[in-house]
Amino acid sequence: MNEFNWTYVGVAVLGLFGLFSFLATVVLSLTWYERKMLARIQMRSGPSRVGPHGLLQPIADVFKLVTKEDIRPTNSSGLLFWSAPLIVFVSAFLVWLTVPFADGAVVAPQELGLLYIVAISTVGIVGLLLAGYTSSSKYSVLGGIRAAAQLVSYEIPIIVVVLAIAVLVQSLDLRDVILGNEVTIGERVLSFDGQGAIPFAFIMPLGLIVFILAGLAELGRTPFDIHHAESEVVGGPFLEYSGAHWAVFFLAEYINTFVIAALTVLLFFGGWSWPSPPESVFGTALEEWQTDALGVGWFLFKTYMVVGLFFWFRGTYPRLRIDQLMAFGWKSLIPLSFVNFILMSIVIFYEWPLWVMTAFSVPILVLGLYIGSRRTARLADPTTVQMYRRARREDGGNKLIPEGSGD
Amino acid sequence: MTDSGITTNVIDKGQGLADMFINMGPQHPATHGVFRMELALDSELIVDATPHIGYLHRGSEKLFEHEIYSQIITLFDRLDYISNFNNELGLVMAVEKLMDLEVPDRAEYIRVILCELNRIASHLIFIGTFALDMGALTPSLYNFRDREKILTLFEATSGARMMHNFFRVGGVKQDVIKEFPAQVATLLDELEAGIDDADKMLSLGEVFVERTRGIGVIDGDVALDWGVSGATLRASGVPYDVRVEDPYSVYDRFDFGVPVGSAGDCWDRYYLRVLEARESIKIIRQALEQMEPGPIQTKVRAIARPPKGEVYVHAENPRGDFGVYLVSEGAESPYRLKVRPPSFCNLMALRDLLVGHYIADSVVILGSLDIVLGEVDR
Amino acid sequence: MLNSMKALRVTLGTMMRKKVTAEYPKEHLPIQDRYMGFPALLWDDVRDEPFCTGCMVCVRYCPTQCMSAEMTDNTQFAEGDSHRKKIIKTFEINLSRCILCGICVDVCNFDAIEMSHEHERSERERDANRVDLPELLKMGTKFQKDTGWKQSKPNLPSPKERAVIAEAKAAKEAAEAAANPEPEASAESPSDSPPEATAT
Repeated sequence: MNEFNWTYVGVAVLGLFGLFSFLATVVLSLTWYERKMLARIQMRSGPSRVGPHGLLQPIADVFKLVTKEDIRPTNSSGLLFWSAPLIVFVSAFLVWLTVPFADGAVVAPQELGLLYIVAISTVGIVGLLLAGYTSSSKYSVLGGIRAAAQLVSYEIPIIVVVLAIAVLVQSLDLRDVILGNEVTIGERVLSFDGQGAIPFAFIMPLGLIVFILAGLAELGRTPFDIHHAESEVVGGPFLEYSGAHWAVFFLAEYINTFVIAALTVLLFFGGWSWPSPPESVFGTALEEWQTDALGVGWFLFKTYMVVGLFFWFRGTYPRLRIDQLMAFGWKSLIPLSFVNFILMSIVIFYEWPLWVMTAFSVPILVLGLYIGSRRTARLADPTTVQMYRRARREDGGNKLIPEGSGD
Repeated sequence: MTDSGITTNVIDKGQGLADMFINMGPQHPATHGVFRMELALDSELIVDATPHIGYLHRGSEKLFEHEIYSQIITLFDRLDYISNFNNELGLVMAVEKLMDLEVPDRAEYIRVILCELNRIASHLIFIGTFALDMGALTPSLYNFRDREKILTLFEATSGARMMHNFFRVGGVKQDVIKEFPAQVATLLDELEAGIDDADKMLSLGEVFVERTRGIGVIDGDVALDWGVSGATLRASGVPYDVRVEDPYSVYDRFDFGVPVGSAGDCWDRYYLRVLEARESIKIIRQALEQMEPGPIQTKVRAIARPPKGEVYVHAENPRGDFGVYLVSEGAESPYRLKVRPPSFCNLMALRDLLVGHYIADSVVILGSLDIVLGEVDR
Repeated sequence: MLNSMKALRVTLGTMMRKKVTAEYPKEHLPIQDRYMGFPALLWDDVRDEPFCTGCMVCVRYCPTQCMSAEMTDNTQFAEGDSHRKKIIKTFEINLSRCILCGICVDVCNFDAIEMSHEHERSERERDANRVDLPELLKMGTKFQKDTGWKQSKPNLPSPKERAVIAEAKAAKEAAEAAANPEPEASAESPSDSPPEATAT
């Protein structure tokens, strides 16, 4: 396949176009899903006027954004200013090329899929920095630098957890993560199970938690969304963008959300594989396209559940300050991710059964949660507030004395 | 006073060169009203802070001199527009003290019940907006839902959800409807559940504690120097509550606790108000039991003319020590009516609180002071 | 971390509850009986005229000075049909200035003005919310009908009614006077009248 021919280009363009339309629809549905879910948590309606149950609301949003006036700060360079959203969007989009929706349903399968994903998602950070810098507003510069620092720091736990998964299946190909892999070393043939039997969430619960938290921070979602927080003084790198250009950032953010959720499902929850083969569920033998379609459907369902988890977090938690966020990343997540990686390597090297990894991970997770709770309990000490009661003073007036202390 | 062993998150107060000036302008989603704060920053660190007020000044004290007392009650409603009944109480107490009137018991109990319900409503808003400043979107909606129930009760009692014009010199305007005790009893149960919900979601949550513990610490003596009062003062360890120190109305007939903090930081100020709301529920329950049928207003002329003299009364508003200083020349309008707003005095301590913290903390500290600009600017 | 999970449980619980939004304008939240909406003038069905006599007390005591009024002689009084000597001629309230405080209702001596339940009046121009007498009476009659409003005290008698009452009283007195001589004539019959009492 090393010759250049136009049919290959045509097929590639068609595939990209199909992927883009699919992702655009998914993003629109995610905006509706987020608003409805937040509304449900807050006991209100959410979008309900535009279309039945507000289903046409995303279309109205897109229409509004596209028809808005384009404003560019005078002091900024036009080319750089407009290219920042594109860089962020294109890097987010390129990640999707290797994500397999089902066995065979991949746009551009790569043998080094995992490496490719972490490398390309880092390019988006450059886009954010550029957005902050070219806005020619000191607040945007601050916001852009903060965002870049946050994203770069949280790449590390993600990469290390991905490495642990790669150690587990001895391959960087995303399809092998689901289907399993066979490696020949000399005369020995080692086979590594995919997630058909047991999802990796049960083998590596520590890795799952680290991946989800680091993924939330990568996305800039609550509780890590300080860089575009509405009620803070500094607006963030997106401050000066309006209309369609802001819509591109918005699109990129939701695509990223979906990709982190999709990766969680692929790496930890079995991707498209059903708990038992679909034939046994439906009774009849299925054709390949039907199996693939069921796989895609099941994969999308699981991804939407994980995305719902992200939205649930958004509705529940306040946000961390930037230095607390960085402290959490460097002091908690990175050591945990390294511990996870080392344990995984030990288990694979000595060819121990995989439940040993669970046996290692769960106590460490519990210990980590315990240490975290202890630290917070020391801070969140409600006994700094005491109840005082009224007591009589010598001169007949009242005074307040602590409850429980004798008069 | 701040010897609870909690280290503050402050880096070298006051040191650092200011190289950037940020204006948290009058229009800002987090400044609780039209309030302007100029911050001098050393990258993230606040080196100096200057509050600017006056954007909501409506000339209230000048209007007071030209209106009769029954019209002034409508203006007092609008001072601290979240706790309307408490403001009205300040005014009618001042006029009654000057005229030496005795208010019938039933009217006093009605006043106390309405004022304490208003305290709960005000604290619910505080909890909601405090969490909102930090990015937690949902507690504010839960608290507004509970507040909605309180406002519906107010509407059934006084005719208006917020600007009631219900208290009169010598009593209250009308008696409560006969379903009032039953409605209040059910409402109190629902409010207890609502406050518990907010407490469970926020108080000990890890992120919330990280954002508020050790932030905005003020020493009790410094707070007293600035004239801080209310929950802000009590959080710094000074046990001062006007309802206990200088009881007014019928507050000496109730048995209630007053929470006092010791760390003087934002978390203490927040948690104090949660506990205060629960204590208010206790007070209302006792008032409902003790209330008996009777007259609701002393016989007094339609246009009140207090005799010549001056008087100062103070009451415990949800925001602090609300004072009213009335100088009367015997006419139907006061000669001078000055209001001592608690938010104004609390706000003056802002610079001491902010210096040495990060920008992200400035919003949290300002929220924890619980100010209402209507009171600050009058 | 455990406390954070508690928070998640709280939000999970509220996800299951019913929403508290009323879809305005299809649904309206209920209004309480005592709700103070915009002021409106009431109509006296008995006399077939407004209660308002134009005494201007409410205009004087309004804190925002949003009302103005004029009174005139009442033709119905001249005809003897009504007890009101004066009646309202024009009345204007600037509803955008009204602060719904209810002071006008408190000071009115005549049951003439009430805070209606009306609260939805948005207009497209700034001054468009100034209502005149017919509009106020319309708001008032709507309020009276919707709430079954009753007068707090009955009307005083009109001149004609007073004449009727005076006639009736005079007739009654005449009847009594006419009936009275008979007891005096029968005073000669032995009854309990002592001899000294006959001296007049």
